[in-house]
Amino acid sequence: MTVICEPFSEGTSLVHRLDPRGKIMVAALFAVMMAVAQTYAATLAGLALAILCLTLARLSLSKVACRLLGVNSFIFFLWLLLPLTYPGEAIWRWGPLEFTRQGLTYTGLITLKSNAIIIALIALIATVPVVTLGQALSRLWFPNKLCHLLLFTYRYIYVLAEEYHRLVQAMKIRGFRPGTNLHTYRSYAYLAAMLLVRSYDRAERVFQAMLCRGFHGTFYSLRVFSWQRRDKIFLAVSLLALTALILLESLKPALVRGPHG
Amino acid sequence: MGEPLIELRNITFAYPGASCPVFQDFSFKLLPGHHLGLIGPNGCGKTTLLHLIMGLLRPQSGSIHIFGVEVKKERDFLQVRQKVGLLFQNPDDQLFCPTVLEDVAFGPLNQGKSPKEAVTIARETMARLGLNDFEDRITYKLSEGEKKLVALATVLAMQPQLLLLDEPTTALDEATRHRLIHILQGLDIAYMIVSHERDFLNHTVRTCCHVHKNCCMVE
Amino acid sequence: MHISEGVLSPAVLAGGAGLAVVGTAIGLKKIDYDAIPRVALLSAAFFVASLIHVPVGPVGLHLVLNGLMGLFLGWLAFPAILIGLFLQALLFQFGGLTVLGVNTVTMAAPAVAGFYAYRGLLRRPGLPALVGAFACGASAILLSGLLVAVALITTGEGFWKVAQLVLLAHIPVMVIEGLITLFVFLFLKKVKPEMLEGIYA
Repeated sequence: MTVICEPFSEGTSLVHRLDPRGKIMVAALFAVMMAVAQTYAATLAGLALAILCLTLARLSLSKVACRLLGVNSFIFFLWLLLPLTYPGEAIWRWGPLEFTRQGLTYTGLITLKSNAIIIALIALIATVPVVTLGQALSRLWFPNKLCHLLLFTYRYIYVLAEEYHRLVQAMKIRGFRPGTNLHTYRSYAYLAAMLLVRSYDRAERVFQAMLCRGFHGTFYSLRVFSWQRRDKIFLAVSLLALTALILLESLKPALVRGPHG
Repeated sequence: MGEPLIELRNITFAYPGASCPVFQDFSFKLLPGHHLGLIGPNGCGKTTLLHLIMGLLRPQSGSIHIFGVEVKKERDFLQVRQKVGLLFQNPDDQLFCPTVLEDVAFGPLNQGKSPKEAVTIARETMARLGLNDFEDRITYKLSEGEKKLVALATVLAMQPQLLLLDEPTTALDEATRHRLIHILQGLDIAYMIVSHERDFLNHTVRTCCHVHKNCCMVE
Repeated sequence: MHISEGVLSPAVLAGGAGLAVVGTAIGLKKIDYDAIPRVALLSAAFFVASLIHVPVGPVGLHLVLNGLMGLFLGWLAFPAILIGLFLQALLFQFGGLTVLGVNTVTMAAPAVAGFYAYRGLLRRPGLPALVGAFACGASAILLSGLLVAVALITTGEGFWKVAQLVLLAHIPVMVIEGLITLFVFLFLKKVKPEMLEGIYA
């Protein structure tokens, strides 16, 4: 399975050993604050905090860089457009193109915010295996059904992805070469439809197997989490850092404010 | 000899939309303590028979008696499923919990055991099958052979009085096959195995039956 | 198309999150625990199907299939899409956390709308069903594109041009998704008609 893996979830660093519930809460708060932030000061400080977490998680930097590159494709698209199309004072002209100060500063801010959140997401959430994450979410405020749906879906993604690969290989063996034509689209549609049919049949069998083991509508989770001293310290430090970010955002007169600042 | 564990009388069953019924006026008996192998070509109804016993499929006519009691409705089969274990052909159909321990404990929890008891039972069952270190393993990251053994553990954890196995040797390597034979030989309950593998059946059951449209013929 | 983190204004993010919560709550209310395997398996299948890259000239586009999801799942498309996007954010870092709500709404709302809008047409035999299947796939993408554009424009007027281009980029996807939805519908009608029961319910 090359497509689906959790490259960051394995490790023994301090960040990996923290209680997932704490990491989820801190990451969520941080993400919301970064999304709301309008000043360069708070955003840069947030980015620094996120990079600090990433360093503590001791992940493979090349893999992180690879992910960030992919994530920044939308941002790259914005750099091509926003500085040119954003209304404001022109600071640089090149032929018919006009770069505005507001456009440049705003795109810069978006880039920083976006990367800060994604880095925090990688450092704090992607370091939790999805299975543990589902169990932790059900211990927080998330509806039980949704958590079971998440765990169930995740479990069968692997099985179906394997079936998908087998089907694709079988297509290749018979000389299928994708192109921009109706044959390609029909073949891919059949591939998707076949996946759906198999998933439907499998759902039937899975449910039967559950009935055979006496399932009558209740799911149980046996996972027990407990707060350690390091979790309490982590939460305290994070809350302090987040408060500092809020202060920075509100006290510092905005160097540059976005349009909705 | 005691009364039969399973008795099917004059069963007729056809899949919806199929032109020809799988079973017609089919009768079958399994006596206590028996170890039975079911053989026959693909599509002759071996798996269908197991599903009829578990109440996953319902016959169009005829009656099913399990442990001497007639079972008809979903409610009757709920009782059956507490006492009869079915090992599915594909362990991916059976294992759906994130971790092995949770999956093995799922059955006991459904039987109304407390989480603590369920975990104890699960651990005991896993130890019996030599799966001691598997507790926190992720089910979908197991090898095919490991999945099969864990699936067997999930069934045995419910302490069934009768075990049905649907082609248990598919995709197993030699070592796991031997382990499975060893486990089955050590069981003190009746079981029934659907398999195409003569050699495996020779090691695990005394009698083999050919499944036909209206009866099971002892070889 | 997923919107990245850091782009939208807090008000738009909050609005998206609120709508996503409502939609997901309605969806969850409609499933009982017995239906969880079925919904989860379908979500998993859609997740995997969205990994399919189809060539369009020189570029590859990945399938979205939200129109099709709507047909199968109705309101359940909300939780299913939410989970799909959450897993994408987790495994590939596509999209993100704070935009999860907005991205869920832009994909799931057209799915639910398509379910109600095209159910009748798909039940009819012959040509109308085919037209309905194509339109369902295509209009779900169009609506998604419109919603993304609305999210961008309400964030700031400066996003006008970006929004227009995003919408333009959705046009080829529309045609392809329409075709794929049509073929999937034909396939299922032949191979496994019971899967389409939801449409007839």
